Amino acid sequence: MNWIWFHKLGSPKWFFQWANKWSKFAFVIGLVMLVVGIAWGLGFAPADYQQGNSFRIIYIHVPSAILAQSCYLGLGVAGLVSLVWRMKMAPVFIKAVAPLGAVMAVIALISGAIWGKPTWGAWWVWDARLTSVLILFLLYMGVIAIQNSLDDMQLADKAVAVISVVGLINLPIIKYSVEWWNTLHQPATFTITAKPAMPMEMWLPLLLSTLGMYGFIAAIAMWRMQTEVLVREHRSNWVKKEILDNGI
Amino acid sequence: MTYSSFFYSEILAIFRRKQDAVNALVFFLLVITLFPLGVSPSKEFLQPAAGGIIWCAVALAVLMSVEGMFKEDYNDGSLEQLVVSGLYLPVLVLLKLAVHWFAIMLPLLVLTPILSQMLFINWEILWVLILTLILGSPALFLIGTIGAALTVSLRRGAVLMLLIILPFYLPVIIFSTGAIAAAQVGQPYNGQLAILGAISLMTLTLSPIMAAVSIKASVN
Repeated sequence: MNWIWFHKLGSPKWFFQWANKWSKFAFVIGLVMLVVGIAWGLGFAPADYQQGNSFRIIYIHVPSAILAQSCYLGLGVAGLVSLVWRMKMAPVFIKAVAPLGAVMAVIALISGAIWGKPTWGAWWVWDARLTSVLILFLLYMGVIAIQNSLDDMQLADKAVAVISVVGLINLPIIKYSVEWWNTLHQPATFTITAKPAMPMEMWLPLLLSTLGMYGFIAAIAMWRMQTEVLVREHRSNWVKKEILDNGI
Repeated sequence: MTYSSFFYSEILAIFRRKQDAVNALVFFLLVITLFPLGVSPSKEFLQPAAGGIIWCAVALAVLMSVEGMFKEDYNDGSLEQLVVSGLYLPVLVLLKLAVHWFAIMLPLLVLTPILSQMLFINWEILWVLILTLILGSPALFLIGTIGAALTVSLRRGAVLMLLIILPFYLPVIIFSTGAIAAAQVGQPYNGQLAILGAISLMTLTLSPIMAAVSIKASVN
């Protein structure tokens, strides 16, 4: 397989032009899938035989929870790339994605609390999975905090890379906490390998809204990264040309 | 400078600044005192909660003491000397950390039996508590070093460091208090101890390198 297109993304200029093309595509596809998935899930999917209609918040809860974890996985990988190969785009990625991940974690927590009230009878229980999403949120806040407090950009990039890589240790703990502590929370909703435990009419909109959320977040991340690239490369000639030709 | 001369000078430095270790211990004591005063001094509350109280206090005390570990060296420029000394920086970090670990943990371990009496811990449980402290505290120090190295150039780095490092302490605290809780109800606790040891070993491989990377970035 040819990986040159991927290596080219390490250069800010290439990335900027690549993102120009793909961000709108990802945004439109993601938004359409998200809207269709959520509308289908909220309006047309059958009600759960135990939880009734209250389960429908799953179409917001699960995509955001998955995204919160995926974003951190991305942070960790980008941190590793940044420390080992010192690619220019890796710290840009971290800076752009960390707040998105934090928002996703917050949405997962809030929607989980709203779901928990009718189902478990409590807004919050100190269950392993809830707690680990809370920790995930705190990890995001740590990354954001250190990014904002260090004025020296190079040091800040290094620092967030280190913290992201170290934080990656936390992800397996989140994933396996369900098996380790075996508590109230139902096991993971999505498995690619096993047959889904829920009927197709419930599972398909969930898949759609999750994929849509991926596309949506990817597009926003690309825009945020583009902005960051412009800030960092504001002295280079291609940025001047880009702005003169296409405007901001 | 050689590894052994560095090690020796670290021991001397910590001996001549005993106040740092004393501060950490007093802080530890203080946090523990907060719980009987703040929640309840009854045996019914303290006995089951004791493991958690001691571990939270240890985590905070370790974090506080580790935070200042590189500050002095950074301010007088000797941290730069370490970077350019030609010696392998992660090993230097590890040596420094080992000295700190002994300076903080030895008095703390001596203090623990006394405190455990104040919190109504049985002698059998005390043994488990000390085991978890020995197995888990290296991880606290090792993870904390990364934060200390990252925030060394900041004037007010302590709060920031607390913010970024404390979440990483949670697994250690969970498994050590889990071991103590299991011992209190008479269940086997080998598994939790093994995981604690594993976390410490994993951080031992990862964190000196990460701390060295952070020190290099901070010094430049």
